[in-house]
Amino acid sequence: MNTNLCTGPLPAAGLTRRHFLNRFGLGLGGIALSHLLNPARGLAEALANPHHGGVIAHPHFPAKAKRVIYLFMAGGPSQLETFDYKPMLNQRNGEDLPTSVRMGQRLTGMSGNQAILPLAGSLFKFKQHGKAGLWVSELLPHTTKIVDELCVVRSMFTEAINHDPAITFMQTGSEISGRPSIGAWLNYGLGSDNENLPAFVVLITPGKVDQPLYSRLWGSGFLPSEYQGVQFRSGKEPVLYLGNPAGISTAGRRLMLDRLRELHEFQRAESADPEIDTRISQYEMAFRLQASVPEVTDVSKEPQSIFELYGPDAKKPGTFAANCLLARRLAERGVKFIQLYHQGWDQHGNLPKGIKTQCRETDQASAALITDLKQRGLLEDTLVIWGGEFGRTNYSQGKLTSDDYGRDHHPRCFTTWMAGGGVKPGFVYGETDELGYNVVKDPVHVHDFHATLLRLLGIDHEQLTFKHQGRRFRLTDVSGNVAEALLA
Amino acid sequence: MDFRPFSRPSSKLRFSRLALAVVFFVVGLVSFALNAVEPAEKVNFSFQIRPLLADRCFKCHGPDDKARKGKLRLDLAESAYAIRDAEKREAAVVPSHPERSQLCWRISTTNEDDRMPPAASNLSLSSEEKELLQRWVKQGAEYTPHWAYIPIQKPSPPKLADDSPAQNPIDAFVLAKLQRENLKPSPEATRETLIRRLSFDLRGLPPTLEEIDAFLADKSRDAYERLIEKELASPAYGEQQASLWLDLARFADTYGYQSDVDRDFSPWRDWVIRAFNQNLPYDQFVLWQLAGDLLPAPTRDQILATAFNRLHRQTNEGGSVEEEFRAEYVADRVATAGTSFLGLTLGCAKCHDHKYDPITQKDFYRMSAFFNNIDECGLYSHFTRATPTPTLLLYAEDQEARHEKLKAEIAAKEAALALLARQTESPANARSSIPRPEPSARYSFEEISKESTPDNFGSNAAQLVDGPSLVSGKAGRAMLFSGDNYVVCKGAGAFNRTMPFSFGLWVKPAEYQPRAVIFHRSRSWTDSGSRGYELLLEDGRPSFSLIHFWPGNAIKVQAKTVLPTNEWSHLAITYDGSSHANGLQLYLNGEQLEVEAVRDRLYKDILHRAQWGDAEVGSIELTLAGRFRDSGFKNGAIDEFEIFDHCLTPWEAKLVAARTGGAGKEAVPPSDKELREWVLRHENTNYMAACAELRKLREEENTFANDIPEIMVMNELPTRRPTFVLKRGAYDARGEPVEPGVPETILPFGKDLPKNRLGLAKWMTARQNPLTARVEVNRVWRSHFGHGLVESDEDFGTQGRLPTNPELLDWLAATFMDSGWDIKALHKLIVSSAIYKQSSSAGPELLAKDPENRLLARGPRHRLRAEEIRDNALVVSGLLATRIGGPSAKPYQPEGLWEESGTGKHYERDKVEGLYRRSLYTFWRRTAPPPSMLIFDAPTREVCTARRDTTATPLQSLVLLNDPQFVEAARVLAERVLKGNADDLDARIRTAFRLMTGREPKDRELEVLRGLYEEQLNLFSAEPAAAEDYLKIGERTYDKALPLPALAATTVLASTLMNMDEFVVER
Repeated sequence: MNTNLCTGPLPAAGLTRRHFLNRFGLGLGGIALSHLLNPARGLAEALANPHHGGVIAHPHFPAKAKRVIYLFMAGGPSQLETFDYKPMLNQRNGEDLPTSVRMGQRLTGMSGNQAILPLAGSLFKFKQHGKAGLWVSELLPHTTKIVDELCVVRSMFTEAINHDPAITFMQTGSEISGRPSIGAWLNYGLGSDNENLPAFVVLITPGKVDQPLYSRLWGSGFLPSEYQGVQFRSGKEPVLYLGNPAGISTAGRRLMLDRLRELHEFQRAESADPEIDTRISQYEMAFRLQASVPEVTDVSKEPQSIFELYGPDAKKPGTFAANCLLARRLAERGVKFIQLYHQGWDQHGNLPKGIKTQCRETDQASAALITDLKQRGLLEDTLVIWGGEFGRTNYSQGKLTSDDYGRDHHPRCFTTWMAGGGVKPGFVYGETDELGYNVVKDPVHVHDFHATLLRLLGIDHEQLTFKHQGRRFRLTDVSGNVAEALLA
Repeated sequence: MDFRPFSRPSSKLRFSRLALAVVFFVVGLVSFALNAVEPAEKVNFSFQIRPLLADRCFKCHGPDDKARKGKLRLDLAESAYAIRDAEKREAAVVPSHPERSQLCWRISTTNEDDRMPPAASNLSLSSEEKELLQRWVKQGAEYTPHWAYIPIQKPSPPKLADDSPAQNPIDAFVLAKLQRENLKPSPEATRETLIRRLSFDLRGLPPTLEEIDAFLADKSRDAYERLIEKELASPAYGEQQASLWLDLARFADTYGYQSDVDRDFSPWRDWVIRAFNQNLPYDQFVLWQLAGDLLPAPTRDQILATAFNRLHRQTNEGGSVEEEFRAEYVADRVATAGTSFLGLTLGCAKCHDHKYDPITQKDFYRMSAFFNNIDECGLYSHFTRATPTPTLLLYAEDQEARHEKLKAEIAAKEAALALLARQTESPANARSSIPRPEPSARYSFEEISKESTPDNFGSNAAQLVDGPSLVSGKAGRAMLFSGDNYVVCKGAGAFNRTMPFSFGLWVKPAEYQPRAVIFHRSRSWTDSGSRGYELLLEDGRPSFSLIHFWPGNAIKVQAKTVLPTNEWSHLAITYDGSSHANGLQLYLNGEQLEVEAVRDRLYKDILHRAQWGDAEVGSIELTLAGRFRDSGFKNGAIDEFEIFDHCLTPWEAKLVAARTGGAGKEAVPPSDKELREWVLRHENTNYMAACAELRKLREEENTFANDIPEIMVMNELPTRRPTFVLKRGAYDARGEPVEPGVPETILPFGKDLPKNRLGLAKWMTARQNPLTARVEVNRVWRSHFGHGLVESDEDFGTQGRLPTNPELLDWLAATFMDSGWDIKALHKLIVSSAIYKQSSSAGPELLAKDPENRLLARGPRHRLRAEEIRDNALVVSGLLATRIGGPSAKPYQPEGLWEESGTGKHYERDKVEGLYRRSLYTFWRRTAPPPSMLIFDAPTREVCTARRDTTATPLQSLVLLNDPQFVEAARVLAERVLKGNADDLDARIRTAFRLMTGREPKDRELEVLRGLYEEQLNLFSAEPAAAEDYLKIGERTYDKALPLPALAATTVLASTLMNMDEFVVER
């Protein structure tokens, strides 16, 4: 079959039986849709491939990763306090940022009007770790233990300088709203591997009042809304409207749904409207969701050793640690794209104190997730990503003192790491200049990053497209090169 | 295998129609493909060839100059026909000669290097498509313009046989087409179906049982027509039509972007409701929204309508580049006008020439020049709640008259004072002892102790922040600043816009900065819209401003003189409390400076006010040399800073400079004029009394105006702001300057039209404009049939879908314009047709032949919109609050959603009426829209959306089953049916069933529902506590007099009906 058929708005030719199963819940509903399956050219072929539910019937490349867990560090974590070691900054601490380094590149209005832009060396100590001798700061003690699994990209760069456009760019490939998010693209392209759970799940650490998040970040943009991410929340109702109303038992609900189905079946017999079948399946799947979501979110049967691995927060629902553990459970069940958000990395001032807290909240659980996936044999085909929407300036925003400074937004370079699913383990890629301002080697643009991500999932980023307003859109817009060096 | 229809059935996949889509794909595009296989059939360029060329070839051989390969354009005949190989007499296309047409061999060659489209494009042509192109060349390769750009002619309806069921010309067009396809129309739908269909389509609400009964009983011939009239006259009609308009207008209750602060546009939404209910003609509806402010003597509604152009998202994210976002806003206005009025994807030409349609990048920026001309800022204020300018004051009732009266009184008083001044003669003698002007505060900067420096009166010591230091000054010592530090004069200079005041100070700049803050009393620069007053040096030129919100609500004067660097200059600023630019004077070393009034429109106060919701009220301080996120006075020095709580006369300004500049220079004798003005202000009791009265009036006006809410609207700048092509769409990559203009291939811009938004609006609504009417009739058609005649509402261009019945579309468009763009008449025309009244059920054969009902051999059938589904539940339960308009409501929503997104905002849901208002009033936060609406396919309203998808997902089932809004509605409905029929289960079921579906239940349905009821009754009887829990859901308390288990079981029954397909689908 011609793989470029995935490019149209109508994935009919790529439609598979699996797709039907997933979308319409045939498996458990037990309802025949035979009258829909008219003898049809294309369909027979489609049915021959039962493994995918998205518009991509056959991967464009052998897929190294089957699913993604994206630990999004919202706000823009400082690379200079974590992975990008710059001793020269400490040596030249307090000097004005040389114009030869800045090269007229724009700054935000938050620090752009400062009379002086004092270089600020990191207050935290760095050491080399692992076989690759990766420099990691003392803020990430747990991460240092898994560096041999990490593929660290120190040369990420973006175009946006403010949070909203930057995070929107990172999550949708465009600064302008209205485009589908990464997870929505994958949902559309690859479908689901679990008919009882959404293919795209979003987990947010609540209570972090900082740079806000917006539903567009996991939205479907111009793709049909079925592809949008479903947020799992902590608390008794992980998915909105999931729980039966007070006083309604599962048994009572089941009885009601059986009667509802009878009514729908009468209607179908009468009107021959195939959409009634859709309606019936919709309710069956909703019922199954009501069971499968509490099952996956209930961590009470996890052994104590697992809680110890993820850290003390893992028992507190909603924390980053608890979300990491939940992400692993979702990955085990075949959820395609699991997007975590942890806010609070926007340290314009009081950076030393702020970033300490942030690292404490995320370090252990991020490392634990890698360890846990690995011990279950899941790391092989699960791609884990850690990173934010941009980096931070090498100069202090506001006053630089001996024990305090802030850093402004910096799109010119930042660090992201990946692990598992087809990336080179224990590998460092890209380099910034000695003051940590510009990328000097192997730059990776946001589009390149997206192209690489898709490639790991077996997708040619130029071929996963959707026609909207007369144009074939893709996650990587009109550019993007796969960073081949990162591929294992 | 490569089989591809010529045109894709839909640019968006609808989930619930996936299965159908397969069938559709296979059958191939029924109408177009069938035409193509008839060998004798003439190929239609517009319908068969252009879509093909556009889709596969135009990306490299289309209108975009920069993307063009091989210097070949296939969208224009002359370029396609141009000889490319003189020897072989070959061109890309040689009419009637496929053998000499390079296109023909390029598409069929097996040589990969030569074949088009190239493999790398991921595009290909099917054998049918290749054959079609060959045939087109053979038949003469005729080019005709894209159908949507051809002026609208009114076609005559086809003649039909006398016994045809046609009731109006719409039917003739559709039936003729059905005849060609060998299809018969479906019989008329039942009356129950008809009234339900009509009621949802026109009012967005289901009919009441009384309405159904009355219609069923009405046997008169014009019963249906009267029903239409009644629906159209219902106020709910305007609400429903407005609700449809809100997605296009990207209407929301918040700004969008990350902080997503609330701002109330409900007055505009209410105008839309009014406009529809008053049946404002569509051309006026368009014109008012685009340019109502430019109409002669515009009414307040006409100005209010232009808020349409300000509904785009706006940001206040700290550190954002103002111009970057302003450029975004302008681009959004263009794209939105393009999509909503013209059905064009103008936004595609923002960064490069349009790849498919004849819209150049220059056209985009010519269009943007129309929208680039208001006095706005790219950022709204973080620290204040000021309405971004330009704004319209939203007067209640008689407030406008009262305000006008106040303003007139002030003007009269000002004129009287001017007259008095002219009439006053010079005093006979020079005075020997004129009192020196005394400041209310003076800072000489002679000493620093404990990070502060005293004022000379010992009351308000000024605080030093981040270490400004003392240096040798103009007199004694002065304060030297770094650009990052500053001095806070706590408690000083707390002036509002009606208070006269003056300042004097010595300044010594070290360099020319583009912008340097000398002093200000404000919270910040763009982060607070510069609210307050400020003295700046801009490239050495002093300027002084009083600002409510920069730039549109402010006065600012700027001197033409540049101050010297490394030298002391004395500056004095005087202000008379008039809120006029000419009430501000600047003096350099005692001499009045010639100034330019940069802004002269200040109509609200310059202080932070608690009642406006501004931040940090009471802690804004007069500050020297620096400001939060602004450019400070780098290496500059300030000395002898004085504050006066009155307006100095010119001679006093001279005195202040002389006195503070050193001893012995005070005895400057005044000129006659200077002396006269001094006497007038200090000794003429008449004048002084009149001044006091004036000040009182101004204060009264200030208080009055401050309480009037505002809304963002359009208001043209007096001088046009230059507009440039922005390369790659980037705000800082200016290309050539452009004049306002339109894509001329659509329709040339009339020479007599003004080159502003009014001209643009007239161009859009001109009879000759090929798009505006087509787009609107298509939209109205969609509101009835669920699909447009052109499926791609958002794109009538060459990449859009082709009309399924172009003659009908044009007839409707022409008729619409002929009617004076009468929207209600258009609705009536459509719903009166026999086609509309058909039953929507289809046999398997018809379903297979035309799964999406493009041929209209049956009536409309589509799932209700998110709003309609919720409103339906509110109506059938009797909960609906019918009040029209007003601020948005906050109905049920799961707790904590806003908090989770990190905005720190809390959703405080309404307690009473707000829970039950129609869904178009539901509060819309762009970054976290109402979840139940999103689940039912509503867009986020961040950008203009022309069309919603219709999906079917399990999450939707969960909303209908479990959302308290629906659970409560089911229970209230259960109470309603239980009360009348406590002993008659069947009657209860019947009533509930009719309310939900509009029809009587069939026997077997009744039987199932009885069974359901009994099952649930057993459950609840066994567990009465569960029944009680269930019934307690929702704010509305339940009737405790009713038997609990019965009520609970009836509620489940009602809930079941609410989950039936028939509840959410219009048939």
